[in-house]
Amino acid sequence: MKISSIQQVKIVNRLRLLVLFGFLMFIQMEVFSQGKALFEGRCNSCHQIDKNGTGPMLKGAKKRWADANEKDLIVEWVINNEALRASKKSKRAIEIYNEYNKSPMTVFSDLTPKQVNEILDYVDAEAAKGAAGSDKTKDKGGVNPVEESKEGESGSGYMWYVLAVLFVVIILSVGGVRRQLQVASSGNEELNKLTYWEEIKQLLWKYRKTTAVSVLVMVLSVVVYGFNMLYSINVMEGYQPSQPIAFPHDKHAGLNGIDCKYCHNSVAKSKSAGLPTVNVCMNCHKQINGKTEQQQAEISKIYAAAGWNPNIKPAGGYTGKTQPIIWNKVHVLPDHVYFNHSQHVAVGGIDCKQCHGDMTKQNQTARVTPVSEINKLHDEDDKIIQLTKPTLTMGWCIECHGKKKVEIGNGKNGYYDQIHSRLMKNKALYKEYLKGDQKITASELGGWECAKCHY
Amino acid sequence: MEVKKRYWKGLEELKETPSYLQNKDSEFPSETSIEQFLSNDQLSESSTGRRDFLKFLGFSVAAATLAACEAPITKAVPYVNKPENVTPGQATWYASSYYDGSSYASVLVKTREGRPIFIKGNKDFGFTNGSVNPQIIASVLSLYDGDRLNAPRVQGKTASVSEADKAITAALRKATSIAVLTPTVISPSMKKALGEFSAAFGAEESSRVSIVQYDAISYAAIAGANEKNFGKAFIPSYDFSKAKVVVGIAADFLSTWLMANEYAPQYAQLRNPDAEMSKHYQFESILSITGSNADVRVQLKPSEITSLLSNILTSLGGQSSVNSKISPALQKAATAVVGDLKKAIGGSLLVCGTNVLEDQLLTNAINEKLQNYGKSISLVSELNLFRSEDVKANQLFDSIINGKGPDVLINLGANPVYSHPKGAELKKGLKAMKVYVSTASYADESSAVATHHVPDHHLLEGWNDYMPKTSHYAIAQPTIRPLGNTYSALESILVWGGLKARPAKTAESTVAYDYIMENAMASNFVSSKEDFNATVHNSCKEIKSEATPLTFTAVSIEGKNIPTPSGLEVVFYQKTAIRDGSMSSNPWLQELPDPISKVTWDNYITMNPVEMDQQGYNTTYDQEHGLSMATITVDGKTVTLPVYPQPGQALGTVGIALGYGRGASGEAIGKGAYQTKEYGGYDLDSNGKKKGIGQNVFGLLPVVDGRRLFSAGAKMAKVEGLYSIAATQIHHTVMGRDSIVRETTRSIYPVGEGEARKNKNQYNPAHTLQRLNEHGHHEEAPVSEFDLWNAHPVENVGHRWGMTIDLSTCIGCGSCLVACQAENNVPVVGKDEVRRGREMHWLRIDRYYASDQESQVGKKKDEHSFNYTLAEKASVNPTVVHMPLMCHHCNHAPCETVCPVAATTHSNEGLNQMTYNRCIGTRYCANNCPYKVRRFNWFNYPSYKKFTEVNPAQDDLGRMVLNPDVTVRTRGVMEKCSFCVQRIQSVKLDAKKSAQPVKDGDLKTACSEVCPTNAIIVGDWNDEKSEIRKSSKSARSYQALEEVGVKPNIWYKVKVRNQG
Repeated sequence: MKISSIQQVKIVNRLRLLVLFGFLMFIQMEVFSQGKALFEGRCNSCHQIDKNGTGPMLKGAKKRWADANEKDLIVEWVINNEALRASKKSKRAIEIYNEYNKSPMTVFSDLTPKQVNEILDYVDAEAAKGAAGSDKTKDKGGVNPVEESKEGESGSGYMWYVLAVLFVVIILSVGGVRRQLQVASSGNEELNKLTYWEEIKQLLWKYRKTTAVSVLVMVLSVVVYGFNMLYSINVMEGYQPSQPIAFPHDKHAGLNGIDCKYCHNSVAKSKSAGLPTVNVCMNCHKQINGKTEQQQAEISKIYAAAGWNPNIKPAGGYTGKTQPIIWNKVHVLPDHVYFNHSQHVAVGGIDCKQCHGDMTKQNQTARVTPVSEINKLHDEDDKIIQLTKPTLTMGWCIECHGKKKVEIGNGKNGYYDQIHSRLMKNKALYKEYLKGDQKITASELGGWECAKCHY
Repeated sequence: MEVKKRYWKGLEELKETPSYLQNKDSEFPSETSIEQFLSNDQLSESSTGRRDFLKFLGFSVAAATLAACEAPITKAVPYVNKPENVTPGQATWYASSYYDGSSYASVLVKTREGRPIFIKGNKDFGFTNGSVNPQIIASVLSLYDGDRLNAPRVQGKTASVSEADKAITAALRKATSIAVLTPTVISPSMKKALGEFSAAFGAEESSRVSIVQYDAISYAAIAGANEKNFGKAFIPSYDFSKAKVVVGIAADFLSTWLMANEYAPQYAQLRNPDAEMSKHYQFESILSITGSNADVRVQLKPSEITSLLSNILTSLGGQSSVNSKISPALQKAATAVVGDLKKAIGGSLLVCGTNVLEDQLLTNAINEKLQNYGKSISLVSELNLFRSEDVKANQLFDSIINGKGPDVLINLGANPVYSHPKGAELKKGLKAMKVYVSTASYADESSAVATHHVPDHHLLEGWNDYMPKTSHYAIAQPTIRPLGNTYSALESILVWGGLKARPAKTAESTVAYDYIMENAMASNFVSSKEDFNATVHNSCKEIKSEATPLTFTAVSIEGKNIPTPSGLEVVFYQKTAIRDGSMSSNPWLQELPDPISKVTWDNYITMNPVEMDQQGYNTTYDQEHGLSMATITVDGKTVTLPVYPQPGQALGTVGIALGYGRGASGEAIGKGAYQTKEYGGYDLDSNGKKKGIGQNVFGLLPVVDGRRLFSAGAKMAKVEGLYSIAATQIHHTVMGRDSIVRETTRSIYPVGEGEARKNKNQYNPAHTLQRLNEHGHHEEAPVSEFDLWNAHPVENVGHRWGMTIDLSTCIGCGSCLVACQAENNVPVVGKDEVRRGREMHWLRIDRYYASDQESQVGKKKDEHSFNYTLAEKASVNPTVVHMPLMCHHCNHAPCETVCPVAATTHSNEGLNQMTYNRCIGTRYCANNCPYKVRRFNWFNYPSYKKFTEVNPAQDDLGRMVLNPDVTVRTRGVMEKCSFCVQRIQSVKLDAKKSAQPVKDGDLKTACSEVCPTNAIIVGDWNDEKSEIRKSSKSARSYQALEEVGVKPNIWYKVKVRNQG
């Protein structure tokens, strides 16, 4: 069967949606209708169910179009409002357009009529629920209870201790039997007078060289092991301070797909990624004020900070009384460490995930993601470099600097081209750099030098 | 002829005093006791038994371990509404203009998250060509001075501005006479506002409002002489870049005289030995910075100046009825000067720094004879600064002293109580005034007694406009919101004159801004709003002026009516850092070693050591042994000060710096303005009052014809007692190595490349060592070919950051030092620590006195017959070399090899990196450093009580000046010049982000950025076309202590003196 290109696109889009749904269902662990997902993903940033915002409220939208005798046109309107307006077959379309100061609605040509109907059905169902005063959405707004990750398989560890004890017991009993036999066979009573411990001492003394060496080895290995233990100590990993606002990253970056850089907008420009200033929050939250009580309570904190009063007619207004939000810093570096986000993001092309983990799934306030969790992301994205040292320790930084390949001399960055051409003058050094990993890593360009981060 | 010189760094070395010999081998002058080091006196007060000690130890180790497991909570507070131009973590620069009454410059202000933290010159706009001086750089610290008034006061009590305004306007309405006292006004808006203010009150009686300009330092004689010669009292613009022969007579034009920061780069243009050089003669009594740079420096007494000028004028064929007889030595120098001047008609400049009318008339006549007017002296562009109306001011002060003063006095920031000879009487007069309004930033000597005080903004907080010269219009824009409730003086004048209303939201007031813009449009300084905005962006613009050049009219010059002193003469001079004392509470400036004497935190009597020996004064001193004290009496007024041995001081004269002894009655003029005790706290006198730093000698200035003179006849008497002084002079020994400084003369290093190179071993000999060649014979090879270690791969790979410093153009001004302190959060340590040799400056400027000797520079050929006593005779008038010295970032760094914890390592970009968090403070590195540029952090400067008064990082406000990109070092670690690695990293990052190689000239270290003469060049040596590469390959380039073989990344360039 031949399929047209348009159909192809539609199929691909459907597949994409399916994948998206599967994905969302997987993380939410919750069954919901397609209409809800579509509403939240596509409509919710401009439309609310029971209140006018950037666009009109969706409650009763179907009825309103039906009242205007354009019942079927609403689907066309949602999918491509521009085309509908241009066709001039709908009066209501022009009306709405004029009502909202001629700011056009986004075109959703990838939605099917069926999906649009599902959205509208969902909206009406929600509105009815709301009217009945029985809001039983399981969505608890900002913060979901923690889903404890399963403990690792640690059960088999004790077996080794049991075996070790058994082994010692066997050795001792074999030794005892041997001694008894020796005494019995030689008839030497002297031997019997020695206690067990004295005999061991005697034995150790007899083989004192071996004993000394093995004790030394043991001590050294304990020291080495101890040091390695100390290196793996980290006070930052999993650090999750309380925050004045229960901000869920998964809602913003995950569900609504807001780019990290929209809020952390100096990440490619400056050493600091920047926390969103309250005016950035207000870009969206002027419209979105929360569905549940808890959400409303959290969002009202933003309003307090911005000095926004939603009750000012007609659509809210600023009072002028502002008050900054005091967050607790999550990723805290000591004063003697210099870290520049733009170097890593804009120049190094490092994904935020590499250091911060997948924030689209962080349904609680932000925390320092443990390196083990970040390493798992490698399965989805092979650009993620797997590291062993705990997050935010110096070992972690330099481990990555030692692994990260720097593209030099590919003609894309004049700076690195120059570095490359200079390096080419010293072939021996170049070869030394390539040794082992066949790549130029950040460390070879000075990424392991003290004054790159400490000054 | 080759000059044979022997360099010594201090008289102590010259004489080899026992303490010098004892200390010269040790990097740090003395041991610190444990108690001191732990900086906790309570430790010694309590007696702890051994067992208790062990218990405490055990507990604290356990506690520390537990505490380390808890992450500290840090707050992050984003803006509510982010200002458009602010990106957190990125600096924002603003072009602005600086004027504080004694310096003017077009500047760029660096702000981080809204806080100004660094000021440098604007090289793109303005006639100052990016040149600044130490005070301008340090002014950013004064912004954060907690003693700056932060609210209006009425009768000494904090009040609201409306309350103050009400009282002031009421008083003004009632007053029959109003006086406005102000430092020289160069603001066209302020001038207009004062005009409107006068009109508002004096419509009927024109004499009701009088406006008097008064500056601490007066140049009235120059304006006075010009009035006679040109019919107009003005100060011209000088252009030293047009002067092939420069003659300075008691004028420190590279440091403190008029627009010194404008003149220094002009002067330096003709001081490059690789092109044509100017010839500079300097006649002076004190050894000034300008004198130290002169090709020929001649000592003279102030009383000889008039005769010298007259002598030069008559030798040039001019007319003068003044006595032209001068001493034979002076005559010889004058003949040489006249000879050179005659060869450079129309291309020379003679400037005189005295405030004597006759001297300035003679100077004018000489410059007219030399046809310098219209060339090196502009008759079109006038300097609007320094227009102190001394006669009018004296009348006003006399009237106030006699109680006949105006009904209302408005003081716009002048401080005559401190800086006028009649200051003490004036203070009584001011106290008796019913209505005395001040807008000064501090409740200083003059303003503490004000009845109404509405403090002005700091320069960086408000809008201002300036017209420093005819046809040059400049704007100063705020770089931070006012920190306190301060009010633009311009706004206040407009409000009090009833011309504008004080806005309700004072912090967002646009009164001054609107007025300046309206005035700029009305006066045709700008053509439109867009033009005004462009001017704000550039900070200044040239405007058209219709001024016609003035013409010179000769006047007969009569003998002066100043009594010529017969005995000792005292010269009152300004120091580079403190100048007229207006910024004396700034600890950066107090700790800036005087470029010549290297003394910090004090003023003193400078006297030639030859005379001191004869009169029984101590000529040597160190941290334990102080200087002798003496009194200087001028006209019955006496000050007591230590006597400092200053080689080069003219015999029969002594010098004392102005600008010290501020806050004599304990006024709140800033924490840093008072003497502190050894372990912190202020040193109080018997009355429990704080002691000012040094002595105020403004009171000693004689007044002739209403003009204050800066020299006088004096009597000097020795006083019992010693005074310890904090100098950085000999704390770092030279270790008997003469290859540090290289100097030659024009005859050996003439113009023209080929010839100059031929005799390189005469002016810049290479260091060689013997080695065996392949035939088994000895041969000489350059030191650079010998290597003990494998070289770091820095040459031609990646970057190699390097620096050249031209000793010929370095004038020793000290700007680099203050800029380094500001950029790198270098702590202030106070006088007591400097005295102990623990100053923290990363960059120092070594000043070497030279004297003719039979020893060759760099080589001790006749070591057996050489002796220090012979060298002493030459020290009467030694020539001087300034040599900035910071970490040399040696590619074979001796410090790196001795660090037991690898806290100091080498980068592949040629930098010697100091890692504070790794350092355990063994100080081996400092011990091993041949340049002695490493500094050890002995104390917790930001918290130990010893430094509360001097270290700005100890209060919340002062901390705001810290550069957030540089770590504040803690106690117990080494630190040193990092080559501004934060800037290197930032320049590299910008290049990477723009996908371009690092452009030559993009990297400027703090020191190179503020150098007025561009003596310091930095860059990537691996860039073959870079300035630094070229400069390091110059025939004059050499490396200090090259024979040590440490392969530094800093090159010096041989100093060439334009002598025969």
